[in-house]
Amino acid sequence: MFGQFVINGLITGVLYSLLSIGFALVYNTTKIFHIAAAALYVVAAYMFWVFSSHLGLPFWLGGIISVSITILVSVLTEISVYRPLKMKNSSLNVAMIASIGVMTVLVNLIAMFFGNETKVISNEIMKVYTFGDVIITTPQMMQLVVGSSALLIFLFFISKTSLGVRLRAISCDDSLYCTMGYSTAGTRIIVFVISGFFIALASCLTVFDIGMDPHMGMNMLINAMVAMIIGGVGRFGTCVAGGIILGLLQSLVVFQFASNWQNAITFLVLLIFLFFRPQGIAGYKQRTV
Amino acid sequence: MEYFLHIVIMLNIYIMLVLSANLPVGMARLLTLCQAAFYGIGAYVSAYFLMQFNLPFIVVALAVMLITGAFSWIVSFASVKLKNDYFILGTLGFQMIAYTVLYNWTDVTRGPYGIPGIPGIKIFGSWEISGVLAYAILTFVTMCMVVMFFHLIKTSPYGRLLKAMRSDELSVQSVGRNTVVARSWAFFLSAAISGLAGLFYASYVSYIDPTSFTLDESIFIISALFIGGVGNIRGPVLGAAFVVLLPEVLRFVGLPDAIAANMIQIIYGLSLVLVMYFRPQGLMGEKTAN
Repeated sequence: MFGQFVINGLITGVLYSLLSIGFALVYNTTKIFHIAAAALYVVAAYMFWVFSSHLGLPFWLGGIISVSITILVSVLTEISVYRPLKMKNSSLNVAMIASIGVMTVLVNLIAMFFGNETKVISNEIMKVYTFGDVIITTPQMMQLVVGSSALLIFLFFISKTSLGVRLRAISCDDSLYCTMGYSTAGTRIIVFVISGFFIALASCLTVFDIGMDPHMGMNMLINAMVAMIIGGVGRFGTCVAGGIILGLLQSLVVFQFASNWQNAITFLVLLIFLFFRPQGIAGYKQRTV
Repeated sequence: MEYFLHIVIMLNIYIMLVLSANLPVGMARLLTLCQAAFYGIGAYVSAYFLMQFNLPFIVVALAVMLITGAFSWIVSFASVKLKNDYFILGTLGFQMIAYTVLYNWTDVTRGPYGIPGIPGIKIFGSWEISGVLAYAILTFVTMCMVVMFFHLIKTSPYGRLLKAMRSDELSVQSVGRNTVVARSWAFFLSAAISGLAGLFYASYVSYIDPTSFTLDESIFIISALFIGGVGNIRGPVLGAAFVVLLPEVLRFVGLPDAIAANMIQIIYGLSLVLVMYFRPQGLMGEKTAN
């Protein structure tokens, strides 16, 4: 039984890490508290449902279309909301409140068109993989394989390629970045493209397994934020570590107590980290004024 | 007429809630996402007092305000340690924990079943007020008192201290003011007034369950505050009026019921984005330096 819970926790952790990276990309580089990510998550889920379940395209094609649409919406959010606010030199709190507004609009648009009830992608009974006493379902297998390979490719990309270095540079000092002759606005677009990709990937992999409703985004995003804080703000590998730790922890809470206390434990851990180790397990220590 | 009075009562409750959020958010510039937690704690504590004891209104109100205010200590403690985004995340954590406890601690709160049959408020002795008109008058009088109270705070030396703190906390400390204590009082008063709103809500609706006190409700209160304006009295009042009256106005326009609820939320969201772009201080808020 214990092995099963560890595997379940690990897979949930991979999903948290994906969403966490989607959030952290925007948060680390632009410092915007990107709450609209919750809405992008919902948009991706419903687009996946429309193209693969409703229109009957194969899952991989539906997934690709859904990811592309989410990237488009993500970039549109940057161009239509965040960039004009930055041009006006608005404070980051203002950007965050505007982000809440964007989330409200998108989530309710989805709810208006598709209804508030839960939808599922597929009702088929799928193959199950058995390793000893550990059982892994097909959706879980996909989450594990696709999710962890995307994470590995991203970690390689961010630490080794020149674009990755530029993303990290803009998070340090964007006016200096500008002086070096790079376009801040252009790089921010790239940030929102990659962020949209990871949010959509997390969403599609999750809803393939458990279905969707229009108000699930915020809960998932909060878990992803907690994963980011536990791991450490300012880096990306730490999001993965934090996500997996959070997934394992929640799974063990279900194993030991009951699933309805899962959220309380999550936030207790968040508060403990915020108070005693705000830089997370391996984040940069930040100066607080 | 009853319909009109019902709107007046809800408007009064929301004016209190948004004004109480304005104290930390607008006057002390500390964005909190846990107003609904205090609102809920206030409602549950008042349900307990109203159902267990036969006390006059003033005593119940004071007890509820004190107990809800006591919970604000957690947030004050967090505000010492946490800054900026971390503080927002901390209050969000507090909100989620409060909701989970209300939802899952079934022995005390009856969890998702909620608490039905909460008796009305007793003004003197055993004279229990009932009917919409009585509640409308009582909440209106209390709302006026709350508005006056916040106006007094704003013009008092304490209000100016908060104003100075939001501009530059370090220099306020350097002239020998204890900013931690000042901030703790802001949270205490804010939580106490939210609890008072919870008292009216619980006894007016006579049924409470945890789903009225979610993170969405906190975000709703904060949205109302930012649309109306932060930092002064008219801004929050305008914001509360906007979010409470808009659904009623749209009802007369004749939107189909199926999309009305979502449509209203979309309008709130859009107005939030537009207000943040064109008037970041809110429609009637106090203009401050960035």
